[in-house]
Amino acid sequence: MLGKPSRTGRVLQYLALAGYLIFLGFPLVWLLSTAFKPPRELVQLHPSLIPSSPTLQNFVQAFTEQELGRAAWNSLQVSLASAVLTVLVAMPASYALARFKSKLGTVALGWVLLSQLFPFVLLIIPIFLVLRQAGLANSHAGLVLIYVVWALPFALWMLQGFVRNIPRELEEAASVDGAGRLQVLRRVVFPLLAPGLVATALFSFISAWNEFFFALVLIKTPELQTLPVALARFVGIEGTARLGPLAAGSLLATLPSLIFFAFMQRRLSSGSLAGAVKG
Amino acid sequence: MIPRRFRRLAAAAAVAVVGLGALAACGDGGESEATAGPVKLRFLSLAWQKESLQANKDLVAKWNSEHPDIQVEYVQGDWNSVHDQLLTSFEGGDAPDIVHYEASAIGEFSKQGYLADLSGLIPADLKGQIDQGVWDTATFDGKVTGVPFLLESQVVIANKKLLDAAGVTVPAADGGWTWDEFQANAQKLTKPGQFGVAWALKSPTNRVLNLALNYDGKFFYTDGGKTEVKIGDAEKEVPKRIHDMIYTAKTASPEALGMSGADTLPGFFGGKYAMLPGSVSLRQQMVEQAPAGFEWVTLPPVKGLSSKQAANPQTLSISEDSKHKEQAAQFLAYFLNPTNMAALAKGDWLVPTGKQANEELVKLTKGEQGWDVAADSAADLTVAPFQMADGYPEWKTKYATPALQQYFANKITLDQLASQLVDGGKQVLR
Amino acid sequence: MTRRSDRTTIYLLLLPSLLPVLVLSVFPLLRGIYLGFTDARAGRNVEANFTGLDNYKELLTDDLFWNSFKIGLLWAFGVTVLQFVLALGLALLLNQQLRFRGVARVLAVVPWAMPPVVVGILWKLVYHPDAGLLNEFFYRIGADGLRANWLGDFSTALPAVIIVGVWAGMPQTTVVLLAGLQGVARELHEAAAVDGASTWHRFRHVTLPALMPVIVAITSLDFIWNFNSFGLVYVLTAGGPGGKTMLPMLFAYEEAFRYGNYGYAAALGNVMVVIIVALLAVYLRRRLREAN
Repeated sequence: MLGKPSRTGRVLQYLALAGYLIFLGFPLVWLLSTAFKPPRELVQLHPSLIPSSPTLQNFVQAFTEQELGRAAWNSLQVSLASAVLTVLVAMPASYALARFKSKLGTVALGWVLLSQLFPFVLLIIPIFLVLRQAGLANSHAGLVLIYVVWALPFALWMLQGFVRNIPRELEEAASVDGAGRLQVLRRVVFPLLAPGLVATALFSFISAWNEFFFALVLIKTPELQTLPVALARFVGIEGTARLGPLAAGSLLATLPSLIFFAFMQRRLSSGSLAGAVKG
Repeated sequence: MIPRRFRRLAAAAAVAVVGLGALAACGDGGESEATAGPVKLRFLSLAWQKESLQANKDLVAKWNSEHPDIQVEYVQGDWNSVHDQLLTSFEGGDAPDIVHYEASAIGEFSKQGYLADLSGLIPADLKGQIDQGVWDTATFDGKVTGVPFLLESQVVIANKKLLDAAGVTVPAADGGWTWDEFQANAQKLTKPGQFGVAWALKSPTNRVLNLALNYDGKFFYTDGGKTEVKIGDAEKEVPKRIHDMIYTAKTASPEALGMSGADTLPGFFGGKYAMLPGSVSLRQQMVEQAPAGFEWVTLPPVKGLSSKQAANPQTLSISEDSKHKEQAAQFLAYFLNPTNMAALAKGDWLVPTGKQANEELVKLTKGEQGWDVAADSAADLTVAPFQMADGYPEWKTKYATPALQQYFANKITLDQLASQLVDGGKQVLR
Repeated sequence: MTRRSDRTTIYLLLLPSLLPVLVLSVFPLLRGIYLGFTDARAGRNVEANFTGLDNYKELLTDDLFWNSFKIGLLWAFGVTVLQFVLALGLALLLNQQLRFRGVARVLAVVPWAMPPVVVGILWKLVYHPDAGLLNEFFYRIGADGLRANWLGDFSTALPAVIIVGVWAGMPQTTVVLLAGLQGVARELHEAAAVDGASTWHRFRHVTLPALMPVIVAITSLDFIWNFNSFGLVYVLTAGGPGGKTMLPMLFAYEEAFRYGNYGYAAALGNVMVVIIVALLAVYLRRRLREAN
């Protein structure tokens, strides 16, 4: 995008990238190392990277004590449902917000920001009451609902930004060709929106996958509990934790989001754009 | 591609959105429980260590098999979120029947009316097992709203090899050092690269107020129905001694100030700190995490005028909104009988509140691994005035903790500390 | 005629998202705002009384709160600006035809993907004075003098938590900017390249303006989120040492959930909302005007 850099430029780019990745990615190495360490190696004055006597005990404990498999399956369902619903619901709305000037739209966007701004702790109890009254407490549907509502502000703000970026001329050209509004949406807008939709879906998926508090207070039945709630049980009083099982569980909890992103990230590439416009 | 359950879920959510408004109008959305069948109790437990988790689960399973008409559902919570979880479920009218928490935290919930008065529900033999001073920690406005069952006394864990090398002898389980002896021994244990003591003071307020009882430091004084914070020599003694160790004698590490108890372990195992004043429960980490060949020993609580400490026992409470308080109390009586209480205490490496449980535990463990010291420390634990004061949590977070942190960081003087604590008291105890 | 059909279309498009937001955020939000004018307290069957502006009078002289509000602004600005600058750099890099680009992109979202419960513990171990990864790093490279008690020292605590905040929020911002870069039409660049514009010139006059709507959206959201987030800081320092990292939202949280003063906490919330909205309005108005 910035043209072909010189050789030194390339080297600098790789160095910068390496710096970024160490800063952002080092915890993965730490998780990996910790998950295989026995308890005695977890409290050393000079911690080592590679466990001197690696063990699978942490994984065994994590899974036998907390049924992480079941919790992960619950989380997966809730997160996928949240991601899909968020995208489906936010796409048309963001188009409307970006393309039509209307009072309602301005109010909606403002409201959406406001809802993110007010101290969350004061909203928890009323939300809990509404969901309970609706019979949605202790159900995944209730969780999905709350996650979608919580992801919508991001989704709407982001997507309407992306829609604004699509040149109106493209749409007008298609209209002139005789395409109806819906067709324009499907053939022109939607493909160009793909990167934004990926970002939105990812956001919604990961926030749902990692959300702790609502999952904690809404779900009573142990069989329905999600992964973050199960993982929190390895943390104890005053900053103590059972680091081994926690790291083992967290490592496995980190992977689905990374895999999800690995599949989606191709859609963020510029290459797909040119073809998409014509298709 | 899309699994069916997921599709149903999505549909449910969509329908819910539309129907929510309508449903909200028709009251308690089908949550009424069937009246027939066994009584169901939800028990929110905070056990998290492997052994204590197992002990809890075993006891519940045993109860359930013996009592088909009263079934207990074991729900595991966690210490970091339990306060928010309880408050939300209390306010939302959806609380568990039996709640595991600690004396210093249930005061607020008691005053808000969410916890049932257990005075009439607890059998006499359980009542008689526990010291009045300990019962008092869970008694608010005349109502007993929790059964104290696990005590966390402050002892000193020491590196045996370093003690031997410095010629410091280990005192008997019932004869702890005085503060002067403790400070002198810390001096002997200090040399380049090694501190005698690591005071983990991340949460300094509870720590200081607990130990201040050694010198009769009460902090909160109630006279004629009015409570105020007063700081005299009695209150100043313990913070001053800790401060001296860090900055004058330099026998305590200044780096440990921001640490919690467990944070000091790498330095302790690495020989950087010789002694850790801390909870009896630290012994668990000693057993599980000390490197091979490391020798540790549990020293009795340090003595001032007395070796009294403020007790903040873990408690079991029953929700005021529970429909089955009597059955819940029956379960508590079973859960906390001497044998079971001993098992629970052993699992958590804490001291049981029950006298008989304590004796059984010493027998069971032969007093090894510091259980003799732990058992003996139980007699030192009692209620302190701050535990009964309205507004203590607010005073602690807003005024006491920042002020103590500044004092221990050597940023303010002892007198400035005192006046900040008193002023804070005036703000909160209006 | 087109006017009316347009309006119907707007409503139809907006409805699916507005409905759930209405049900689940309007009622709680309005209730929360209202609480700020009452003396509501936590408790069983406790009645709240309307007290008008009493809470706000008290609040004006609440030095602890205003002090924490200052820290909150420092925190939110610090984190948001660093997050944006660093994320923009990373997004530009990840948009290049570099080798291992896919792997790099996946690694870049690690902080986001990690369960929050372990993130706090991880960073405590990074900053641990005795056995922390950071001090260990300095020890290994022979720079023992740089070792510090990062979270315990009065001068380093806030910068240390700001770095954690930047780390935690960077992936989101990066992904959004990366997605935004795809919208910067290739033709514009090619046209600019033919004109012989320099890389910097093209970035400044082609990429940046085209990216502006996305930048505005993500920075304002980031600012709000950062101002509102306190969980991580709570785990790391609990507001200490000596109140140096007491964020205003943490302050409000303790007021509501620890001391049970819902009314006062809601009043704090209302005041913060008003101030932040004012700040954002200035920012958004200027940016959007530039963009149009």
